[in-house]
Amino acid sequence: MFGRKGKKGNYAYTVARVKAKKAGLLKEDAYSKMLMMSLPEISRFISESGYQKEITELTGKYDGVDLIEHATYTNMARLFRGILEASQGELRDMIAADLGRWDAWNLKVILRGRSFGLSADGIKEDLVPAGELDMAHLEKLMGCETDEDVLTMFGKMQKTSIPQDVLSRYKAEGNLSVIEDYLDKYFYEKLLLSIDPSSRPKRLYQDFIRNEIDITNLETILKLKKEGISGEDVLQYVIPGGKQIDRKLATQLANAESVSAMANDLAQLDFFEEIKPALDDTNSLRDIVAALTKYHIKQAKTFSHLYPLSVIPVVDYMIHKENEVNNIRIIARGLDSGLDREVIRGLLVV
Amino acid sequence: MDIGLIAIGAGLAVGLTGLGAGLAEKDVGAAAVGAITEDVSLFGKAMVLMVLPETIVIFGLVVAILAAFVLPGMI
Repeated sequence: MFGRKGKKGNYAYTVARVKAKKAGLLKEDAYSKMLMMSLPEISRFISESGYQKEITELTGKYDGVDLIEHATYTNMARLFRGILEASQGELRDMIAADLGRWDAWNLKVILRGRSFGLSADGIKEDLVPAGELDMAHLEKLMGCETDEDVLTMFGKMQKTSIPQDVLSRYKAEGNLSVIEDYLDKYFYEKLLLSIDPSSRPKRLYQDFIRNEIDITNLETILKLKKEGISGEDVLQYVIPGGKQIDRKLATQLANAESVSAMANDLAQLDFFEEIKPALDDTNSLRDIVAALTKYHIKQAKTFSHLYPLSVIPVVDYMIHKENEVNNIRIIARGLDSGLDREVIRGLLVV
Repeated sequence: MDIGLIAIGAGLAVGLTGLGAGLAEKDVGAAAVGAITEDVSLFGKAMVLMVLPETIVIFGLVVAILAAFVLPGMI
């Protein structure tokens, strides 16, 4: 009754902070304004919209699109870590597990950077230290001699170990996708394990994550299909634990002849209506991915209204924040490379 | 004996409503502090919401006063 039993989280405090932060996110019309601006104007605009500290700190070091990219990532990492530090008990555990996606992201960035021969500074630019591993940990990983050392040290930091068969496959094939695929599976497995479905909000959160797995799997299947890969080769990349896309449906989808031929199998999914207009062989994969992202954001918003004192409003905010950062980066990168403003607008997820 | 029961009733009216208000304020207070941490301009609104549950104690106090001063005259 008094919320002192066990490790119950400080939901009211954390959710109120997150809701206040969410009120400060950029509105839809801000993106239209930014599309009409030059890069220095965008830097000034975002510095007046919550990114001031990062823009001021990084102005001497970077400029143009690099400044915007660094400022947005640094800001996002700071905010997410701030939420993690403000939360307690089971709420903290769930947020930490969700932020584990950034640990996986950072490891992928480090390994990819090393494979392209980037310097530590070059790799550092794309890191988002929002997870359990802060910049000091990530610098240690970057300082390792070989990729194997990186993976071993990452395993130690995460109090786990990368399975020997994954390591030997990576060594034999030299293909980073083996490790990336393992990291995705490991992250979702850990995240699902962190949720104790003893109450309705937590069951809802579990459903939400399982839905996210479905979306990720569908994106993977579609991407591989566009590359002409199908059948068993696709199935090895499917993350277990999805809510609607089980192994049987994944096999059917993987064996479908084209994207439009997948429509029949996809019709049984809850979110079919949301992606139906984008499911056309003439449409690019980007349209389907954008439709899936929009659906995911919509789900987060709906769930967060259902249970205000749960982890869902926090996750909802983190998804919205990540989307805002992605949109700003798309606009900055698009303008920098001279893309047409209408094309950039089409790439935004609003 | 009757006076004693009336006094216990009056005490319960204030005590239980105080407990109820405390429970309600637990989450309201935590949320108010969280909101003010992010945006100090929310202090006024948070303060109003914070004291709202205390109205329950006022009802309890009114009941206790009635019990303590009006009921003995009716016996």
